[in-house]
Amino acid sequence: MYISDFVYTYIFQNTNPRNKLQYILNVENQNYDIVFLGSSRVANHVDTKLFDSLSSKKTINLGVLGASLNDNFLELKLLITSNKIKNLVFQVDSNFEMTNSTTMVSAQAVPFIRNNIVKKHIKENLSNFNKMYYLPFYRYAINGHKMGIRESFFSLVNKKPRVNPEIGYNPKYGNYPKQTASLPSEISKSNPVLDNIVNLCKKHNINLILFVAPYSSKMKNIEYIDKLNQKLPNLLDMSRGYEDKLFYNYGHLNHNGAQVFTKDLYVKIKDKLIQ
Amino acid sequence: MLFNSLDFAIFLPIVFMLYWFVANKNYKYQNIVLLIASYIFYGFWDWRFLLLIVFSTVLDYFLGLELFKEINQKKRKALLLTSVFVNLGFLGFFKYYNFFIDNFIAAFSFFGQDIKPNSLNIILPVGISFYTFQTLSYTIDVYRKQLEPTKDFIAFSVFVSFFPQLVAGPIERAKQLLPQFYVKKSFNYLKAKEGLHLIIWGLFKKIVIADSCAIYVNEIFSKYETMNSLSLLLGAIYFAFQIYGDFSGYSDIAIGTSKLFGVDLMKNFKYPYFSRDIAEFWRRWHISLSTWFRDYVYIPLGGSKGSKWLKIRNVFIIFLISGFWHGANWTFLVWGALNAIYFLPLLLTNRNRKHLGDIESERLLPSFKDFMSMLITFSLTTLGWIFFRANTITDAFVYIKKLFAFNFKGGLQYLSIERYAPELMLLIIGFVILEWFIKKEEHPFFGKFITTKIVLVFLGIILLGNFSNVSDFIYFQF
Repeated sequence: MYISDFVYTYIFQNTNPRNKLQYILNVENQNYDIVFLGSSRVANHVDTKLFDSLSSKKTINLGVLGASLNDNFLELKLLITSNKIKNLVFQVDSNFEMTNSTTMVSAQAVPFIRNNIVKKHIKENLSNFNKMYYLPFYRYAINGHKMGIRESFFSLVNKKPRVNPEIGYNPKYGNYPKQTASLPSEISKSNPVLDNIVNLCKKHNINLILFVAPYSSKMKNIEYIDKLNQKLPNLLDMSRGYEDKLFYNYGHLNHNGAQVFTKDLYVKIKDKLIQ
Repeated sequence: MLFNSLDFAIFLPIVFMLYWFVANKNYKYQNIVLLIASYIFYGFWDWRFLLLIVFSTVLDYFLGLELFKEINQKKRKALLLTSVFVNLGFLGFFKYYNFFIDNFIAAFSFFGQDIKPNSLNIILPVGISFYTFQTLSYTIDVYRKQLEPTKDFIAFSVFVSFFPQLVAGPIERAKQLLPQFYVKKSFNYLKAKEGLHLIIWGLFKKIVIADSCAIYVNEIFSKYETMNSLSLLLGAIYFAFQIYGDFSGYSDIAIGTSKLFGVDLMKNFKYPYFSRDIAEFWRRWHISLSTWFRDYVYIPLGGSKGSKWLKIRNVFIIFLISGFWHGANWTFLVWGALNAIYFLPLLLTNRNRKHLGDIESERLLPSFKDFMSMLITFSLTTLGWIFFRANTITDAFVYIKKLFAFNFKGGLQYLSIERYAPELMLLIIGFVILEWFIKKEEHPFFGKFITTKIVLVFLGIILLGNFSNVSDFIYFQF
């Protein structure tokens, strides 16, 4: 167990990043004009290369599939320790209902559990922190789907990841309009994690832009976004107005949709960005 | 309590120590330890349902004694029917009440009548289908005078609730299991070692094979509309191995755990995916259930004797009941019916007992003919599993329609679990090859280098296993 733990940790800490959290922990002294942060509804929606060409700015898409606000909070805390951000374009929608961490990002963080920020974050958010911290290999065993033998092997042989974390855009292809989903019918009073993100941005002079990415007509309870608009008056609401053919499914645009959305997003926020 | 949980890892050694070092004076003490352990094991899930087990135990214990004493055939029949109705009544209520109510409502609304009977929020007691069949077999055997009822209430209680096989079998017969609780057991090192080997191999099948497959299967079946034919094919194959790894893994752990206490349970799986026809498959898959249905339903109905129509009726009855036993959903009934359709041609042409022996035990590789027979049998079985896994019949039919649309657009699809759909096939192929070479044994720990093999399997469990989402065994829901 000790040997396996040591080998995995050594590999993940000393090889080229294959996911966004590894990338954040490796990157230093960068000045980002714009950072896009959120879940797959950022990763699949914002084509950073296109945005760069439109804005002539240095951007990065750090959206992670299945990430919650708390996961994004960890990404942000780590990113600003060694880098500067001018604008943070941050996705808020039904994730407003979640305050906990998911395994999507915390799994990527486990090789770096000795990093103070990661350690504090996992300790505060995951009940099995002690086992992960003290039991050798436990952290890799329970996150085997993300940081298991497959990932360590690919890291070791320096296999390029499917999504380049330096760019971060992860396009979806196809159109599957039959699937439906539903937004929550009720909205929470507030989200303390979002408050923490707002405060952190203020403290570091980061211009924070909150936005809602598009939903297709198959998303039910879309009125939830109206309630969210009332809670967050400066929210940039782009949830409606996109044809169903631009969607991969109810909550994710396909590549064509992402192109349209990225251009729209640029037009909507270009005057709000600080230079 | 799950076999693949930390709770069980603590529970098992404690019971083992108590059994062999504290209660080893006589079999009565040993039985008391097993009974308490079994009730704790079951109570860990929901202690309230222990009352059901205790009730069934008491009822069948006294009915068994009465059946033995009673000479009047009518009264004997009444006693038997009491056991059947009460046991199946519990099963019917907990498992099928809402199914019948929902279908009743649907049928009436189809004819324009809106009725509002109450659906109940019923929790299905874990293992009820298994222990119900086990106690029924006892009463039926006593009724048939094939078994003398026990006067030892504790031994009978252990027979009903023996924790290694309580929640998902093997469904034991009283004739085989009960006498083992009448004798003091002495520790047998070889048997215990064999038990440990089975436990390790069962854990490998569950944690590495079944749970790895589950990740892909859940993804592919939940998003089947977005999948091309290749991914759908892989999804079906993965499910075939998920359910095999899950259930045969469970059975291995159950049989192995039982051996640790000196008790032998019947074999439940015999490499079913190496079957050359469906009849052989059903002699190798969930053997304890298949033989239960054979002995208590199929043969009393006339079995394969009688007219052609009688044979067809019996085959359909047995497979439909078997399907319905698995769950209160039309999908299971269709699955059962499909297997009956597969089976009929063999029965009607008297080829259902063609493959009674083991396949190609002398040759390294199967002959082309056998290979093709196995492939066809596996394909038919896998097609059936789609109904078993799908949420509704519509889902299953759409899945199959898309599977046979031969649409390979998108090639090797990348799933949102961040894996390419075909990746797991490497593990599956490796597993099939390994099973082929160990098919004369029950696990790979035989011959030379046993320690090395154990270390490798342990390493496999640690490095390849899926611990991120410790999941129930599929058959717990039945």
